[in-house]
Amino acid sequence: MSRFLGTLPKLTSLAAAILVLLVGPSMVMAQDVANGTATATVLTALSVTATAPLAFGNVLQGVPKSVAKTDAAAGIFTINGATNAGIAMYMQLPDYVELADGSDRMVIAFGVTDSNVDTTGGGDPTAFVAADGYADQDPHNLPSGANLSDAGAANIFLGGRVVPTVDQTAGAYSGEIILTVAYNGS
Amino acid sequence: MMKSNTSFPGRLTPIGLRGVLCALALLLFLVLDLSAGVLVAPTVVILSDKERTGRITIQNPTAKPREVDIYFSFGLPESDSLGDVRISLQDSNVTDTRSALDWIKAFPRKVLLAPNGSQVVRLVANPPDSLQPGEYWARIVIRSQDGAAALPLAGENNQITTNLNMIMQTAIMLKYRTGELTAKLELADASALQRDSLIEVMLDMANRGNVSYVGILTCRLLDAGKKEISHKKIDLAVYRDMKRRINLPFLPGDFKPPYQVEVLITTEGRHDIADKDMIFGNIINRTLAVP
Repeated sequence: MSRFLGTLPKLTSLAAAILVLLVGPSMVMAQDVANGTATATVLTALSVTATAPLAFGNVLQGVPKSVAKTDAAAGIFTINGATNAGIAMYMQLPDYVELADGSDRMVIAFGVTDSNVDTTGGGDPTAFVAADGYADQDPHNLPSGANLSDAGAANIFLGGRVVPTVDQTAGAYSGEIILTVAYNGS
Repeated sequence: MMKSNTSFPGRLTPIGLRGVLCALALLLFLVLDLSAGVLVAPTVVILSDKERTGRITIQNPTAKPREVDIYFSFGLPESDSLGDVRISLQDSNVTDTRSALDWIKAFPRKVLLAPNGSQVVRLVANPPDSLQPGEYWARIVIRSQDGAAALPLAGENNQITTNLNMIMQTAIMLKYRTGELTAKLELADASALQRDSLIEVMLDMANRGNVSYVGILTCRLLDAGKKEISHKKIDLAVYRDMKRRINLPFLPGDFKPPYQVEVLITTEGRHDIADKDMIFGNIINRTLAVP
């Protein structure tokens, strides 16, 4: 019994630590935002996370390489916010990736069906089915009218294709994919 | 006599409980780290001729530093012919007379947020003297990326590799108000049609006030005996004209035709905006017959 009682403070501390970890961020936000607006209930902050990059791995000269939106290597953006909130999404995609010194470029292409938008917040591109949201979407023109899930989440799964030339310079090519998200009801 | 560490089926011992709690804490940490982007609050910033400064708080709940840029843009919720809403952001050459883009400033505009750190960003409005009464708008765009993004490494053995930086932006609305303010919405046209197992409600709205009409739109599908079949409630923001399509599922049940849709649009009930920042306006009640 005494051993059990001796363990209790540790357990309590651990539980408290978990509670702080769990509640901490939202408390901070509520405190900050409450300044001057004592009666306001804060709408859940909208956040976008690049959960996984679009990963092509190594590419061979003259051999185009594609990554499907349903592949484990697909790019994943995760959006979190208020339950069932309406959101607007806009993606900016590069036409090419280039070497850091700008000495060579490689074409990168995104087709009109290269993205899936999962409004259930499932998070796994390989498990996406059409009923989970919007299938086969143009990433340059993401669907309007999307809502976050009951848990306040959505995912965008992105595929693409790189097209190296036969004399493509070896090296590391980089580019930017930008996702902009806004609530559409405020 | 029962020992203190006796285990029961389905009941955790203190040691077992500690293990579960540790695992839970680890899982929670990982979930927070992986699922959280930069958080921005509040989701709408209101400035006025009486209060020309405001602030937003940006928080980095992850265990990695984050580079954050703050800039302004212009973009209103606009609907297409199908009644879906999108927002197109415009960074320059904005000619809209209600744009506040040219006279809003943020301090600081670039921040490196430490892990679990936060930063207050001050906003200042310097409007021209000739502003007409009403509301003026801009979008605050918060752009974030991994602050410790590694430079792409040259491929081994002369390989070609790619590194795509995934950049995240959230755009929140800033509204500047001056003079006498009126929120007024007109429901110019409304219809309800049955499409397979859905009732499609189409609403044509026109803003007749001098501020954005911000409220809640509720649609209820009812049967002949006023029994509710389904309903939908959305946050609504009408800046000028807007068409909204609401799909109400026709759920199975003992319902009797004819069916109708009750539409309620009101500025009451928004919990994401402080009452002092709300411009309360007219209420629209309409009943639509489903042919």
